[in-house]
Amino acid sequence: MTGTRARIAPTEAPPTQIRQRESLFSAYRTEIAIALAIALLALAVGSQVPQALTWGNFANITQAGAPLIIMSLGVLLVVITGGIDLSVGSVFSLTGMVTAQAMANGFGGIAASLIGLGAGLLFGSINGFLVTIAGLAPFVVTLITFAVAGSLAFIVTNGRSMPIGDPDFWLLNSGSLIPGVPNYILFCLVLMIAIEFFLKKMVAGRWFYAVGSSSMAAYLLGIPVKRTKFMAYVASSLLASFSGLLTISYILNAESTAGSSLMLQAIAAVVIGGASLLGGTGTAVGAVLGALMITVIQNGVNLIGINSFWQGSVTGVAILIAVLIDRFSKSRRGAV
Amino acid sequence: MIETNHVITIRGLTKSYGATSVLKGVNFTVRRGEVHALLGGNGAGKSTMIKIITGASSRNDGDIRFFDNEGRVRSETEGRAKVAVVHQELALLPHLTVAENIALPHQRRGAGLFRRVAAARHAYDALRMIDQDFAAKSLYWLVGSLSLHEGQMVEIARALSSGAELILLDEPTANLTANETERLFTVLRKLTRENGLSVVFVSHRMKEIRQIANVCTIIRGGHTVVDRQPMEELTDAGIIERMGQVAASHAPERAPRSEYRSDASAATDIITIEETGFRQELQPGTVLGVAGAPAGPAALIEALTGTARKKRWTVARAGWPDQLRSPRKAACLGAGYVTGDRAHKGVLHNLPIIDNVMASRRVTRGALLAGGSEGGECLDLLKALKVKAASVWDLPSTLSGGTQQKLLLARWLGVPSRLLVLEEPTRGVDIGTKREIYQLIRQMAASGTVIIWWSTENVELLEVCDRVIAFDTEGRCAGVLDRNDFSEEKLVTLTGMAA
Ligand SMILES: Nc1ncnc2c1ncn2[C@@H]1O[C@H](COP(=O)(O)OP(=O)(O)O)[C@@H](O)[C@H]1O
Ligand SMILES: [Mg+2]
Repeated sequence: MTGTRARIAPTEAPPTQIRQRESLFSAYRTEIAIALAIALLALAVGSQVPQALTWGNFANITQAGAPLIIMSLGVLLVVITGGIDLSVGSVFSLTGMVTAQAMANGFGGIAASLIGLGAGLLFGSINGFLVTIAGLAPFVVTLITFAVAGSLAFIVTNGRSMPIGDPDFWLLNSGSLIPGVPNYILFCLVLMIAIEFFLKKMVAGRWFYAVGSSSMAAYLLGIPVKRTKFMAYVASSLLASFSGLLTISYILNAESTAGSSLMLQAIAAVVIGGASLLGGTGTAVGAVLGALMITVIQNGVNLIGINSFWQGSVTGVAILIAVLIDRFSKSRRGAV
Repeated sequence: MIETNHVITIRGLTKSYGATSVLKGVNFTVRRGEVHALLGGNGAGKSTMIKIITGASSRNDGDIRFFDNEGRVRSETEGRAKVAVVHQELALLPHLTVAENIALPHQRRGAGLFRRVAAARHAYDALRMIDQDFAAKSLYWLVGSLSLHEGQMVEIARALSSGAELILLDEPTANLTANETERLFTVLRKLTRENGLSVVFVSHRMKEIRQIANVCTIIRGGHTVVDRQPMEELTDAGIIERMGQVAASHAPERAPRSEYRSDASAATDIITIEETGFRQELQPGTVLGVAGAPAGPAALIEALTGTARKKRWTVARAGWPDQLRSPRKAACLGAGYVTGDRAHKGVLHNLPIIDNVMASRRVTRGALLAGGSEGGECLDLLKALKVKAASVWDLPSTLSGGTQQKLLLARWLGVPSRLLVLEEPTRGVDIGTKREIYQLIRQMAASGTVIIWWSTENVELLEVCDRVIAFDTEGRCAGVLDRNDFSEEKLVTLTGMAA
């Protein structure tokens, strides 16, 4: 069989049909895997503690997870562009303090909320400005704003916690704009669908991925790289702010340290959801599922009665498993 | 079986990605001291095979044997240690210096410390083989700041100096100027003759293949159709036919001239490019070739694409600002650009084919939504360029290098633009497709687009262009040739570069 095989292969591959429709299964492979993992996790907890699988506990989980879900959606936008936002936890706390203080100063719930969101907008713009115009590294920039916003959250009330003044403010979180659906669930769903639609179907959303994939190639293509990054940081801060509002509306009390554990959780949620910290990948559905997974773990640890100090370790293992699943499914991407 | 003169033998190699099988039982043998051309159309599986040899990619089945000097079989690990490779897409460390990039892989057995002086000497000796001047000045430059062809030289130098017995070069000349290619060939000839080095050489340029290769293997449709045959026994036509390329490709008939008729308003459509002491007016539909060492063309192209930092060239057209300030501005004014650095500045690696292809259209149209009619449009473009893919949602990394190049071209194909700047648009594209690309570019010119085409292949320029600007090795404009006095000799004289 070493001789020349001058025969021209008659079995030339037939002209292949190029598929035009995206197969939802392959597009959401990672997300489906995480959803299954969450279901398994819930069942595992349920096998120990039967009340884990009740509607009541489901409501607990979504209520507890809503702020993280919304914050993760914001962090996702930044991560897709290849950046990172460490300031979200501080912005979350600051918004709560500013809003509560504004109410104490006589502003109504809506006006006070707008002031709180204004703080988010300000910090988002600072992040965006320093990353795009000044050209500083996202990690450094948001480390700075993390520190500054975090300390301002103490300064606003001099470190005291602040009760909510407006008696109707609980409606933001627990009211029902659509009868039967509590607002916190509605907000999560609407934001997830809106952001997923934006990222998948809108040109400006595709630019997020392009910028994260290669900002040089994106720039040469004429894609507005700076504008896209700027938008990502502003959106991230605003969502963190909004998430802070929801939380004080639920607890009816604002604390300076409320968001301090959330930033790492939000980044973890985004990573569990299949986004790469190198940029260019990730979906809103994945980020929401990642946040849910973290919440389900926390809930399970509480219900089973494991020492809550174990929470971090369990979450760590969950991240590891999720990243391994993702790696495995990515390496086969495009092979179908 | 002891084969003292074999370096590697491959039998029945198969490889598939999911349901698509790329290699269906390929045989390949390289002997000591030969330059072996590995040929095949785009997507034939040449790069795949090279990656399997180096272990960068796995195989499904097949027998690979590496031999040592005495003809004994080596283990695959031992064998691979004696193989060096220059991959089609460069693989350098951008934050390290040239010297470190060349020397680092060879200091693995060192005492743990990086020996800076030894590294510099090693790198200098390696680079000097290809370019003495470059070697003298570049050792401490960061690789990230190098141009594509400089990066290519660094990568080749790394392979040549690695002490390997077998070097695999996957389209190494695609990024080199003619002079550099010439020097590379001289080095390869010397090393194969004196040191018994074996070289596997992938290229789509028939002339180069003739110059350097002793024997060739052709793969097509997943099979070996020519197994290690001496080059003298094959005619160009025979090779092209066995690669499965269209017959027309070796009868270079001139592409049709631009048929664009300027109407009354055409005077305002003229684009003028100007630097001190040089001025060209480009009528709509002109295809202007740019030849010569990279420095000169690069400055012109930067001005045309809005990336220039220094203002050396001015580009003027009625309705355009004095200077194109950014690629975005340029794109929106109808000035398109296809980069020559496909891997780093062109392809969006995380985005599916459809986003890669539609990117420029989205920028120029300012559309709000992606999707909709885009799927059909993308499919038409892929068909026009004969791209084979399973789905428009696959990632570009599932395509061969030449096919990725077609994606970049597709971005501007059929977009009604005023100006289109092409850097080596046929880099890594096989002979048959090249011809089609020439036609497509001619068609775009016929619709009134001014095309500026930088190529290091003089033949290509002379075949397709209406006019060619030649830059000399210092980056100065050495002259302009019109279609009626085109000749390779003139171009060679003007550019000071061997053809
Ligand atoms: N990671 C991958 N997944 C799926 N298909 C791939 C992958 N890499 C290469 N291919 C396919 O394998 C074929 C051969 O590619 P390649 O070896 O790069 O061709 P070439 O001969 O032009 O170098 C192409 O059809 C390409 O689409
Ligand atoms: Mg290839």
